Amino acid sequence: MHIPDGFLDVKTAVGAGVVAAAGVGWALRQARRQLPAQKVPLLGVAAAFIFAAQMLNFPVAGGTSGHLIGAVLAAVLLGPAAAVVVMTAVLVVQCFLFQDGGVSALGANIFNMAVLAPVIGCGIYRLARPVGRIAAAAFAGWCSTVVAAISCAGQLALSGTVAWGVAFPAMTGVHMLIGIGEGLITALVLAAVWKARPELLNQPAAPAGGLAVAGLVVALGLALFVAPFACSWPDGLEKVAEHLGFDAKAAKTPLLASPVPDYELPGIGSPVVATALAGVLGTVVVFGLSLLLARSLAANKES
Amino acid sequence: MTTAIEVRNLSYRYPDGREALRDVSFTVAEGECVGLIGPNGAGKSTLLLHLNGILPDGPAPVRIFGETGLAARRRAVGLLFQDPDDQLFCPTILEDVAFGPDQLGLGREVVREALAQVGLTGFESRSPHHLSHGEKRRVCLAGVLACRPRVLALDEPTSDLDPRGRRELKSFLRELPVTKLIATHDLEMVVELCGRTILLDRGQIIRDGPTLELLNDEELMMAHGLERPHILRHWHPH
Amino acid sequence: MHHDFLDRYSRLDTPLHRAAAGVKLVGALAIVGLTVAAPLAAVAYFVAVLIGLLAAARWARIPWRYLGWRLLWLEPFVLGVAFLTLFQPGGHRVFAGIMIKSTLCLLTMVLLANTTPFAELLRVLRQLRVPALLVTTLALLYRYLFVLVDEAERMHRARVCRTFDRRRAAVWRNLGTVIGQLFVRSTERAERIYAAMLARGWK
Repeated sequence: MHIPDGFLDVKTAVGAGVVAAAGVGWALRQARRQLPAQKVPLLGVAAAFIFAAQMLNFPVAGGTSGHLIGAVLAAVLLGPAAAVVVMTAVLVVQCFLFQDGGVSALGANIFNMAVLAPVIGCGIYRLARPVGRIAAAAFAGWCSTVVAAISCAGQLALSGTVAWGVAFPAMTGVHMLIGIGEGLITALVLAAVWKARPELLNQPAAPAGGLAVAGLVVALGLALFVAPFACSWPDGLEKVAEHLGFDAKAAKTPLLASPVPDYELPGIGSPVVATALAGVLGTVVVFGLSLLLARSLAANKES
Repeated sequence: MTTAIEVRNLSYRYPDGREALRDVSFTVAEGECVGLIGPNGAGKSTLLLHLNGILPDGPAPVRIFGETGLAARRRAVGLLFQDPDDQLFCPTILEDVAFGPDQLGLGREVVREALAQVGLTGFESRSPHHLSHGEKRRVCLAGVLACRPRVLALDEPTSDLDPRGRRELKSFLRELPVTKLIATHDLEMVVELCGRTILLDRGQIIRDGPTLELLNDEELMMAHGLERPHILRHWHPH
Repeated sequence: MHHDFLDRYSRLDTPLHRAAAGVKLVGALAIVGLTVAAPLAAVAYFVAVLIGLLAAARWARIPWRYLGWRLLWLEPFVLGVAFLTLFQPGGHRVFAGIMIKSTLCLLTMVLLANTTPFAELLRVLRQLRVPALLVTTLALLYRYLFVLVDEAERMHRARVCRTFDRRRAAVWRNLGTVIGQLFVRSTERAERIYAAMLARGWK
């Protein structure tokens, strides 16, 4: 999901940079306040760990392989603020040393993968934790990947690079699949850590106020990148209503003018809506799968 | 003779409750070179970590040249870790060797001297991951020497070194006039460098005495997971 | 893992290498910024930048073959996303513009990486008063990146030697265990590094 140089226009790149800076600034302040001196080297080593973990090939099919992103893994093992710092460091090194992700897109990449993913992932993990740690983490891993993809699609569309009607289904669709791998790997790794050193999974709860600020930054970013395109959804719903025969009742003009023309596909209506519906369905399905996965991993541990 | 290291009744338990050291007491005079030997898990590394206060003191504080304060002890004791990768944590050699001196306000001259002492002049801008194991060891040594310690505590300094590396390190240590406490499995080095040896097993001092006497005691050595070094089987005292 | 293929030429001795890291960083960022902002019609600008970058590469004695190889390795990722731009009115222009801009920017960053050792970039960050926690994290990340990659490789290889189940599920489970182990070892290594930092007077 690393956006290269040239894909984002100046306004999007700068806007993303500002939001990313706010998020990272928050994380650094939180981490400095909460982190005992003893854990400072851990951030650096954990960043190297995430980096190394990202390089391992998980065979998928044919010659393709999947890779871990690690945002939720970091959030569960280190706490949200530290995770943001760690993922930011990873992205910076990837940008400057590996040229993976453009430097003008660094703000956007950091917002998507180093702020949005770990914070959302952490939030979902905490909400779902009563169900079971491993299940919650797997589910959070999937969600964070998908949300990051949506944000990325928004940034591409806002720059006029890719039409929203193409970016949203493409990015979200692909990452709903990739997210499964992310959730799976996150679960496997956490299960392994749990087996070896269970106390490492006990993260001290961050003060509620701290996470609220992070939530604000995340909301701002999403408002910038995704909200403009949410307006097109009513239009898409309109088309679905037409197909289903409700057009007699539907208004002839859309509620809000769509800023970007939607791509028409026969039989489905707008792929934007189709993707959104699939997303909702997928969320439920993945949650169920996460529970099953956690149960099977726990069974393995027992045996 | 000034007492460089004074340890009295030192006991320590690991966080998981296992006993690491039990009632350890010994002193080291200034300029002495003492070998610290014992089987794996005897507590040698743990003991060294107490000298500069990384691990907490027991009922009686450790004294380094009479000082008990942490800052003074940390300044006086140069600790060389077993794994150079743990100790070499800066992006370049120069930064790493200068890490200590910069905090002590010693200037960059000591850094250059330390690098020259270990024979690594010209390596300043190199990155640690480009170096061989022996070179990394030497950088760690330079980093420790640059802080001008009065006591050098070394944890397995010759492990993983090839024979030439071992020879060079031994001759280097021999020339160094500071007080030395060397935890090691390299019994040949102990015979060559250390006049006195402490045998540690299961956290307790079993014997503390002249090297030749201790290491020649075959029964004692075998009883504590060691052996009489070959160098002594053909030892001709001159 | 080959530890030097990313910045193999960063330690050569040419006027460009000797230039201050801050200057090179600002220069690279300026080129990227201008290139991203430039309208597609500014063909003269793009050509000028290309010639300038190639000349700089020559001046810094970085082989063109190496540059080409690096670009070739990175382009597939660019192409993947760029492909999506075609699905809109006027997509061809957008696609062309993106390919040109991203290639020029890639070239710039590869040149930066190969004329400026990462440690110097960190020094610039420190001078710019970037928060110490982030700079320390970056420094340690750079330092231990390859150590951990090697460790992960060794662990995986050791596991594979004693794994007789060829199925994908087994491979995934093994990798998960390796990564989990790597994290546990990383926390222990971090504690040892902390002790080493303390031992040399860090506060």
